[in-house]
Amino acid sequence: MSHDARIAALKLELPAPATPAANYVPTVIAGNLLFVAGQIPVFNGEVKFLGKLGADVDLETGVQAARLCGLNIISQARAALGGSLDRVKRCVKVGGFVNCTPDFINHPQVVNGASDLMVEVFGDAGKHARFAVGAVSLPRGVAVEVDAIFEIA
Amino acid sequence: MTGKIAARLKELGLELPPAPPPAANYIGYVTTGKLVHVAGVGPTWGKDIRYAGKVGKTLSFEDGYAAARLTALNLLAHMTVACDGDLDRIDRCVKLLCLVNTTADFVDAQKIANGATDVLTEIFGRDDRPARSTTASPSLPFDIAFEADAVFLLR
Repeated sequence: MSHDARIAALKLELPAPATPAANYVPTVIAGNLLFVAGQIPVFNGEVKFLGKLGADVDLETGVQAARLCGLNIISQARAALGGSLDRVKRCVKVGGFVNCTPDFINHPQVVNGASDLMVEVFGDAGKHARFAVGAVSLPRGVAVEVDAIFEIA
Repeated sequence: MTGKIAARLKELGLELPPAPPPAANYIGYVTTGKLVHVAGVGPTWGKDIRYAGKVGKTLSFEDGYAAARLTALNLLAHMTVACDGDLDRIDRCVKLLCLVNTTADFVDAQKIANGATDVLTEIFGRDDRPARSTTASPSLPFDIAFEADAVFLLR
């Protein structure tokens, strides 16, 4: 099944690719690598999932926030590739930033919201290397931010 | 392991830990062309976390520095697998991201991160130091003291 067909089969609704929040571009293609800028949990312009893990955001909500970041990453990648994901060879790398209190330690579970989505959509080609880190604060007060690198044909 | 880098490790008295098992739904590294993208690793030996806590609070500067050194060895543990046991296939470390678990008022994260760069320099030489970003973080997964990820270039 093609990646586009998988998106349709999973009935995933991708958000419209968000306009960058400042002086940068959402994607850059360098050779066979596609770099996607940090995405926050927005859906068609509306910011969702504000707050801090370990304080006012629970684990399950954090996972949902990471998943929405992942949907935005896929949306940006599709836009960069002319409207189809079928040139994606694999997801190479995911970076996860979790807005959290100093005593929070479950970053990996939160960022799995994005990682699980990559595997759902791309199958084995969705398996990636990853880092996860806590942040004191994130742009617009969101709970999670995620960036990614893809290999493309 | 055989080769020049393996010999260099032995000369330095450095032993690499086993490749750390990923903590969640990701894999240890992905190779694309000549680049190997290594996942974030910490100061662990297998499943055992050797340095947990915050530099400036529960950990000293020296603990943080030692955590950074061990973390860099874990990057090389993944690279050993990526290179089928032959670390001589590494041309250089291209980029290093260093994340230090600290209190909000700690300002020497870059000196802690030198632990990672120093050990790579000892092994690969000063001319092949990577570009590096370092940030202090309020918290890290499982309260590890230090985390690093890296991109390596293969020959």
